[in-house]
Amino acid sequence: MKILHQIEYKPARVVGGYTDRILRVNLDTQEITIQELPPDFKNKYVGGRGYALKLIWDGTTRETHYDSPENILVMASGPLGNEPAFPGTGKFVVGTISPLTDTFIDSNIGGHFGPLLKLAGFDAVAVSGISREDVVILVDGDAQTISIAAAPAYDREIDEGALSFGDSLLKDVNGGEYSDSLAAVTAGKGACNARFGIVNSLFFDIRRKRIRAKQAGRGGTGTVMRYKGLRGIVVRSSLSKANGNNAIDKEGVRRAGSQLKAVISKCDPQQLHMSTWGTTGLSEYMDKFHIFPINNYQYGQSPESSKLFANVFLDKYFSKKIPDGCYYGCNLACAKGAENVELTRGPKAGLVVNVDGPEYETVGAVSSMGIFDPHFVMEYSWYCDEYGIDTISTGVTISFFMECFQRGFLSADDVGYELTFGNIEAADKVLHEIASGKGFGKIAGQGVARGKKWVAQKYATRNGTSEDAAMAELNKFGMEVKGLEFSMYITKESLAQQGGYGLALKGPQHDEAWLIFIDQVHKELPTLEHKANALKWFPLIRTWFNATGLCKLPWIDVRNPEAAKTAEPAKNLPTLAYYVAYLNATTGSNKRLEDILDDSERLYILQKLINLRQGKGTRISDQIPLRAMGPAYFNEYEARAEYYDGWLQQQLGDNKVPSSQEQRHKLLMEKRIEAYQQLCDIVYEKKGFTSQGIPKRETVEKFGLMDEQARQLLSKFGL
Amino acid sequence: MVVSIKFHGMQRVVTNTDSIDMPITVKTRVNDALEYVRQQYPALHLEEDTVVVAVNLEIASLDRILRDNDTVSFLPNIAGG
Repeated sequence: MKILHQIEYKPARVVGGYTDRILRVNLDTQEITIQELPPDFKNKYVGGRGYALKLIWDGTTRETHYDSPENILVMASGPLGNEPAFPGTGKFVVGTISPLTDTFIDSNIGGHFGPLLKLAGFDAVAVSGISREDVVILVDGDAQTISIAAAPAYDREIDEGALSFGDSLLKDVNGGEYSDSLAAVTAGKGACNARFGIVNSLFFDIRRKRIRAKQAGRGGTGTVMRYKGLRGIVVRSSLSKANGNNAIDKEGVRRAGSQLKAVISKCDPQQLHMSTWGTTGLSEYMDKFHIFPINNYQYGQSPESSKLFANVFLDKYFSKKIPDGCYYGCNLACAKGAENVELTRGPKAGLVVNVDGPEYETVGAVSSMGIFDPHFVMEYSWYCDEYGIDTISTGVTISFFMECFQRGFLSADDVGYELTFGNIEAADKVLHEIASGKGFGKIAGQGVARGKKWVAQKYATRNGTSEDAAMAELNKFGMEVKGLEFSMYITKESLAQQGGYGLALKGPQHDEAWLIFIDQVHKELPTLEHKANALKWFPLIRTWFNATGLCKLPWIDVRNPEAAKTAEPAKNLPTLAYYVAYLNATTGSNKRLEDILDDSERLYILQKLINLRQGKGTRISDQIPLRAMGPAYFNEYEARAEYYDGWLQQQLGDNKVPSSQEQRHKLLMEKRIEAYQQLCDIVYEKKGFTSQGIPKRETVEKFGLMDEQARQLLSKFGL
Repeated sequence: MVVSIKFHGMQRVVTNTDSIDMPITVKTRVNDALEYVRQQYPALHLEEDTVVVAVNLEIASLDRILRDNDTVSFLPNIAGG
């Protein structure tokens, strides 16, 4: 490997979860520097998302776009992200200015990269600039060197793939052998051609004896990585993974970890059974409650859905009886995978591959295209990972164009073929075109927000109508907010989750709030006040997980039996108590849950300020497509008429519902729009925002965020 | 009178069926249905603190009286990853 620039360094030791060092690499100048953080930095910004937010806030401006040299690609773990004694550690976030949303995006990701980066001496790596040639960064804690090297050329087929390139790279830097002392992040060729490129996190699984991969899927972080000319980062450390955080109170960590492991061992097999099925188990329940996003979220249920239920993947594909944690010590172990899957379509048809996944989101994405073929799910999952594109945004974008066909906005003349729901061959074709940036893929790779504009223009020109009129129609079913495509849940029957998506700062991804069941099924949020409280509390606690290097699933997807005795079982507070104990034992702090929520709120407000600066921070950016609020078209209403009529009758009280179905549908949608606006009003108030969704001065000041930039920004909005 | 008890997810794998029927009287409650399933399928390990009871897709309490042709499900808590 040709080393272009190298420095020697002495890795800082992890103490209480932190090294207090950030590795900074400028690819314009090939400058490598080590930033030492002042003691109060971690107290204020925690780690993970918090570190990424602060670096982006300070290091970019309103004029920074995803492809600007000054855009920063941050990969950051947190103080709790490196502990085999506690389930669900090993997470890190990738944060940057997004090619889809033009504002801050982060996506969390598992694997060994975050823990090894920490052992190699860094809480985060931050890459700026754009390299003139494709490079890789090597962080070698053992050799005590950091290098920028020319990206090695193995073979065209290998070099284009995020998985295959990463696999070769990890062997290459270790004398041809795999090792669990190494991990890598890579981006594939699809990330060059689509705005929704992902970052793959690759690590050696000692049980499967192969490289496995997890993905930072949302928002185009891989696109930024490739635009910078950065093909991969490899990190190495042979230091012991046990007690990787070097906790202040090791016994306290062990105790908290044992308590959580015991709850998981007992309860997961009785609940979602993720240790056997991964997240695919959700498909069945989503279908049952009309939440499965079939045909671009038109219908929540299908007689064909059972072809995509978890037992199908378990029977046909998943390797069985292998602990599948994406980091050591996790007994939820939901990172399922399959070996020896033969590709039957696409440019690599006939190749036998290993598939990591599929996750529920990937299954949902395939259902959104009206496809119910489990083998296609496996192939789609692998190709997306290998190309380095997001299975969610890819699926939602394709399904948007399929609906454009359904409703006459597009024809085969526009696309080159019949891109219709359920058409596997067409879906497969557009997938490969997106990755290669050819044919219709050049348009589809831009995502739904930009796709809407392209379709509106085409349609208006062809039909002599206005683009605005076409756009108004496309806005009903183009499933994006702030430029990001929705994750795979229908929200038509849950006002709280409409807010969960619309008010999410990064766009409609459910890692801020997933309130569908407690709202729609459990009916635990009967009033706007209840919904708004949940829309304040859940994003804050979920932010904390993204700041500390933790996976949320052991908390949120395994209900502690003790929670049933609490006032708000959905918060699963008995399990959260283990997390608070784990935090305090690791860092030596003495925090309560309330303190953690305050820490998170600071990060939340900082993210809101970045959104405001980048033009995505006011009420208008929180508006959701009509389809997210209810049945945008009559066919959707008809499919659930009994439910919708019942809902409408509830709203009207003693007043009679209109006699015709068409009138009822119209009135229903008017009521839904009204309800969403009322929800926005009350949530903004709870969060300390103005009615336009702008944080008030006192809110910013309360969390110590009123620097000069914030002051000027708020002044622009008259605050 | 009879109710249908539906099995989902891993329950279906353990029981090897989508549903079973259970005869009821005017006094049969959800709790009786839970006990019935426990006796029929001890391997399911259903515990009242860890399952969500749904009757006709609506969340219900354990002491709810069942009616002819009701469908009963014992669901996991789902909170969305």
